[in-house]
Amino acid sequence: MLTTTTITEFEEVLGTEAVVTDPVALRSYECDGLTGYRVTPALVLLPSTAEEVAACVSVCAREDIPFVARGAGTGLSGGALPVAQGVVISVQRLRRVLSIDPDNRRAVVEPGVTNADISRAAAPYGLYFAPDPSSGQVCTIGGNVAENSGGAHCLKYGFTVHHIHAVDVVLPDGTLTRLGSHAPHQAGYDLLGAFIGSEGTLGIAVRIEVRLLPRPAAWRTLVADFDSLEAAGDTVTDIIAAGIVPAAIEMMDSLSIEAVEAAVAAGYHRDARAALIVELDGPHQEVASQFAEIQRLCRDHGCTHLRVAADADERAVIWKGRKAAFAAVGRISPDYLVQDGVVPRTRLAEALTRIARLADAAGLRVANVFHAGDGNLHPLVLYSEAAGQHDRAEHLSTSIAELCVELGGSLSGEHGIGTDKACSMPRQFDADSLATMRRLRTAFDPHDLCNPGKVLPTPRLCGERPGPYQPHPLETAGVIERM
Amino acid sequence: MAISGTELHTCPATPAELRTVLADTVADHPKVRIAGAGTAAEWAAPPAPADLVVDTRALRGIVRYNPADMTVAVRAGTPLADLRRELAAQGQRIAFDAPRADAGATIGGLIATADAGPAQQAYGTLRDLVIGMTIVLADGTVARSGGHVIKNVAGYDLAKLFQGSLGTLGVMAEVVLRLHPLPRAGATLRLARTAAEAVAVGRRVMAGALEPAALEWCRNHLLVRFEGGQEGVEDRLSAAARLAGAPGDVLRDEEEAAAWRPVHEVTLGRPGDTVLRIGTLPGRGSRLIEAADALAARCAVETDATSSVGVGAHTVRLHTGDPAARARFLTTLRAEAAALDALVTVRRREGLPDGTDVWGPPPPTVPLMRAVKQQFDPADRFGAGRLAPWL
Ligand SMILES: Cc1cc2nc3c(=O)[nH]c(=O)nc-3n(C[C@H](O)[C@H](O)[C@H](O)COP(=O)(O)OP(=O)(O)OC[C@H]3O[C@@H](n4cnc5c(N)ncnc54)[C@H](O)[C@@H]3O)c2cc1C
Repeated sequence: MLTTTTITEFEEVLGTEAVVTDPVALRSYECDGLTGYRVTPALVLLPSTAEEVAACVSVCAREDIPFVARGAGTGLSGGALPVAQGVVISVQRLRRVLSIDPDNRRAVVEPGVTNADISRAAAPYGLYFAPDPSSGQVCTIGGNVAENSGGAHCLKYGFTVHHIHAVDVVLPDGTLTRLGSHAPHQAGYDLLGAFIGSEGTLGIAVRIEVRLLPRPAAWRTLVADFDSLEAAGDTVTDIIAAGIVPAAIEMMDSLSIEAVEAAVAAGYHRDARAALIVELDGPHQEVASQFAEIQRLCRDHGCTHLRVAADADERAVIWKGRKAAFAAVGRISPDYLVQDGVVPRTRLAEALTRIARLADAAGLRVANVFHAGDGNLHPLVLYSEAAGQHDRAEHLSTSIAELCVELGGSLSGEHGIGTDKACSMPRQFDADSLATMRRLRTAFDPHDLCNPGKVLPTPRLCGERPGPYQPHPLETAGVIERM
Repeated sequence: MAISGTELHTCPATPAELRTVLADTVADHPKVRIAGAGTAAEWAAPPAPADLVVDTRALRGIVRYNPADMTVAVRAGTPLADLRRELAAQGQRIAFDAPRADAGATIGGLIATADAGPAQQAYGTLRDLVIGMTIVLADGTVARSGGHVIKNVAGYDLAKLFQGSLGTLGVMAEVVLRLHPLPRAGATLRLARTAAEAVAVGRRVMAGALEPAALEWCRNHLLVRFEGGQEGVEDRLSAAARLAGAPGDVLRDEEEAAAWRPVHEVTLGRPGDTVLRIGTLPGRGSRLIEAADALAARCAVETDATSSVGVGAHTVRLHTGDPAARARFLTTLRAEAAALDALVTVRRREGLPDGTDVWGPPPPTVPLMRAVKQQFDPADRFGAGRLAPWL
């Protein structure tokens, strides 16, 4: 239990200035990017080193205090939602790039380093960190590891789990250990792989050895307009079937295009029913021949307009439009919810039709912007809080996620389960599967202190009802975009 | 079911049969050994005696394959080689080339041994290609994680625990894999190089963003393989030769296959051979190889080696020397490896004295591995011996 004695103990470990007790200050930790859920933590700790994190967790373990790790708080599933009687352990002060080893193409960083800062530090060596969530300017590598984050380019490059060699972890009993190794093929179970994507429930990452890749030699980007979502979807299928693995294939429907053009005027055509953004990167000749083939496939499927980025600036404009899509929706609707489901790519068209039907039935509009290459949909449910549409929107959004499961997909492609979707988990996994996942959690955290209540459904959680969605403050400020 | 010796042998053909046999034998046959095609029977630590052998070879075949989705669900006892043939008919493949696959290894066996081949340079290992798994635990619990889509973060990824599990946690019943297109063209550039030179050339090829599919050094040659479109592959072959400062030999088809054969031979070993698996930082690989060479002479054993130079994964084969000499080689190499932060484990234990420590110094995660084992298999039914002395 948290008592004044334990608070004093935390202050002795960290210094008083690193222990937040002021109620106003505590409130700035009450939610993450899923702002509908809010809980004010009892205490926030701001350690500066791995050893301090371990010391804090040891106290929590001894005193039976639940704790929640927090990076930048951009998570979209309520993963960093505090526990009322618990502490939040923020890693914001652990933000040093500890070393870069260009010869072995890797970097060792602290968990509070932002995704973009890793690539920035690696840039002088011609290297970068491949996972590219659109929140990259602010989200932390610790959060990326916890969520197994992806980005537009993960079609070719994979997710965070494919780019981590080792993680030093403070386990829920306060022990500091290392998962993985900088040499490949450590024997035994792949505990590193199991930890990545565990949403902060198996321990706190305090030092991360990431894999860096050489910058691609060349890239080409195009936007192709179509007069139906089906034609755009078929084009995607044919590109993949042709044996081409583009770096990214994104799709926007007409409602998203309308929003983007109203917001940033990125040159998308408002009369297009669907726009495909395809980007290739890699060795020069490889990119050149595949790009020609992709253009041909777009034309074969009756694309109504083809725009090829002539240079880096034009490419940037195309991506600016794509990445602005979520925030832009704020221009055509007072409120919106962001969904993150996955369907097998071949069922994209069917998914979109059924989403439209669900939306009609609910009397709401849904805009679609998504990673078409891997079937990861981000339907945006537009509604008005003032008009009392919140519950209907919330219900529609959940139905869409569950529809994805029904179509053979998943509740989440990248934003995680967290608090938001824990109650939908039984749709995707039966009771025995969930109980087996619980066994893994118990192996790491026998006393259920580490981010309790997240990922797996609990009766207590599944009775609660979320509040309205609000854009992340940094999103409103235009610092980051949502994808 | 058949009784051979003291072991009861069972070949379930469906996940349901597998579940029944495990649930029904809890009391009478507490100790279980899981067997696939047996291609790694001599690997890792030897299994302890069991009461029941679960043979997965009847658990075979494709469960679901929709080529346009580029994923396939298979029973875990399916030989990878069989699966390859079916996928190739659709112009697809599993981007995984552990040489043991050609010897008939099953998908489940390749995962359980955390096997890998030269293509890990570009595609990683099966841990990076498995997107879903159905497992059966000691008490007959059937659990599923992941699914049929490539991008999926719902729930814990239990499949990762089975990577390298050596039959100690549960039985894999079904596995869902991500597929890749068969490349339209592929060729290998062969360059005569020492291990140290190979590391340097490999580094330049990677830094040149040429995206090699494999970079393997074996028997004083570096093999650089490219895959992709016809023109792209040609372009990269010549760019790599430029970076290497020598024309090298460009090998295709039969010639290419022949050039890769030594890599397979070293990796698999012949009966009687000892095979070691070594992981290093890529840049330190050649020092390890040089240390192994020098040591072989001192220990009176003959060795050869193959290295995935971009990854830092090495295989050293001992093909002569008595057990004591081989044990001396292993112990001394481990001591030198420790200074390089490298890991030396025994893949094929033949030719080593009984009771040899196949795993070497325990990693800090052993207590966690034990905790996972305790949760998944509290009665300790599965795989006794194989991860000894850690488990
Ligand atoms: C505008 C916007 C755009 C986005 N775009 C993308 C996108 O393109 N792709 C994508 O995948 N995601 C995206 N996200 C989601 C989010 O940015 C990612 O999930 C990100 O990885 C979270 O990082 P964070 O530092 O903000 O973590 P937080 O939100 O602080 O925490 C997320 C989870 O990680 C845990 N955690 C944090 N640090 C640690 C640690 N050191 N050790 C263990 N657990 C830890 C927390 O407990 C929590 O469960 C977006 C979010 C926003 C707001």
